Amino acid sequence: MIREGAIRIPFKYAAGRAGSRFLVALRDGMRIIASRCETCARVAVPLRTFCPACGGDDLAEVEVGPGGTILAWTETPDAGSYALVRLDGADTAFLHRLVAAPAGCRIGHRVRVRFASSRRASILDIDGFEPVTGEAR
Amino acid sequence: MSEMNAPNGDRRPIFIVGVGETGPVAQDPRSIPEMVLAAVDKALADAGMGHDDIDAIVTASIDLFDGLTASNIAVTEVVGAVMKPETRIAADGLAAAIHAACELRSEAYQTVLVAAHGKASMSDFRSLTRWAMDPIHLQPLDADFLVCAGLQASAMAAADGGAQRRWAELAARRRSSAAPGGFAAALPAEAVLASPVVAAPLREAMCAPLGDGAAAVVLSVRPPAPGRRSVRLAGMGYDLEAHAIGDRELTRWEGLGRALRRACADAGITSEEAAIDLAEPSCLYPHEEELFRDACGIGGETVISPDGGLFGGTAPVVAGLSRLIAATRGLRGNARYRRALAHGAWGPAGQGQAVALLEAAD
Repeated sequence: MIREGAIRIPFKYAAGRAGSRFLVALRDGMRIIASRCETCARVAVPLRTFCPACGGDDLAEVEVGPGGTILAWTETPDAGSYALVRLDGADTAFLHRLVAAPAGCRIGHRVRVRFASSRRASILDIDGFEPVTGEAR
Repeated sequence: MSEMNAPNGDRRPIFIVGVGETGPVAQDPRSIPEMVLAAVDKALADAGMGHDDIDAIVTASIDLFDGLTASNIAVTEVVGAVMKPETRIAADGLAAAIHAACELRSEAYQTVLVAAHGKASMSDFRSLTRWAMDPIHLQPLDADFLVCAGLQASAMAAADGGAQRRWAELAARRRSSAAPGGFAAALPAEAVLASPVVAAPLREAMCAPLGDGAAAVVLSVRPPAPGRRSVRLAGMGYDLEAHAIGDRELTRWEGLGRALRRACADAGITSEEAAIDLAEPSCLYPHEEELFRDACGIGGETVISPDGGLFGGTAPVVAGLSRLIAATRGLRGNARYRRALAHGAWGPAGQGQAVALLEAAD
């Protein structure tokens, strides 16, 4: 015998200090903010409270993107397409949806972040990456 | 287990004295405790032991996968943990075996039972993995482990036009050598290449199917009864990479390289001189086997997954412990093998990595 069940429990996830600043910058300024480590110079996006490379906590806030370069992309039949993009000015890659059809999508292609018209301080304030035509790197 | 640790020559050896497993099968009609009981009974019989011989238990399970909080509570009785010390590890079963070995190293116990279970048929396993992603930056995107694997494969295939065909051939080879009873049908490479895309460039038949299984291992500082080649857990190491795959060098399993170096240091050898006769990697996709070979520096002299590894079908959480069992059986059954490597991995795109080095004690 099989008992059918489901877990439906609402949660409230705290974005934290850096996460909240990052999301508010998306909502209010359509800006993507990252942290630059004053110790090792690594620029990590999204904004951090400590450097993921060296653990340093002396961090400056810098803006990266909205343009970037595809490092990897994937397409699924049910959940759509995703890309890992090195945003201009960042050392880490940023994972989000690929909004344009990936036909002809290639690693190394230039893309740009497309912001949502209605924004609520969520990672979904970004619709995803869209291709930039006529720009090559 | 620091890389700098010199091996301790006076250390008590740890023997793998009993192994047992059930499945993997696509769907096991039994309850989780019944599956775990079957694996534990086989491991104890293999060790020639009873529950009275077991000092402590380490279990591996993940609550979310079981749809149950404190998923170890469901197996307390069948692992014989009532009124005994039990520790639960929420990671791959090989990490639980490493924890058990640390308990033995501490000289707290003589004999420890390790048990792991996973039952992917209970739910939509792929959807469950979405809940393992960062809740602020990744969960809202519906990104899951398969998406992360597709991105990793994509990064590897970028400058490698032959990757798809090579991966199809590797998956076909592994599937065809899978032991009977596996639930992935043998397929020629052409059929693997023609199977539907699940997360480009990965195709359905490239992926190890996930089902139901349980595994149990008895570790002891007492050598096994004579009459069988004894197998020693000579070294162990593990490592975690950053959770965000964008923070990593995605085309390498650097964490696995570090885990192996720790395991070698633990065994008193350098990774360069570690001749591995048999490797049993926990790879769910062919690109992961390439990551594994690169990270471990394993070449043609090492036999890899002679029974197909995970490609014949596996179960979450159980996978790494099942590799420890396969490596143990390989050493027991083949006098040519002196040293074997068992590997476990968990999390998105191999975030967690564990290595156990096994040596035939004769």
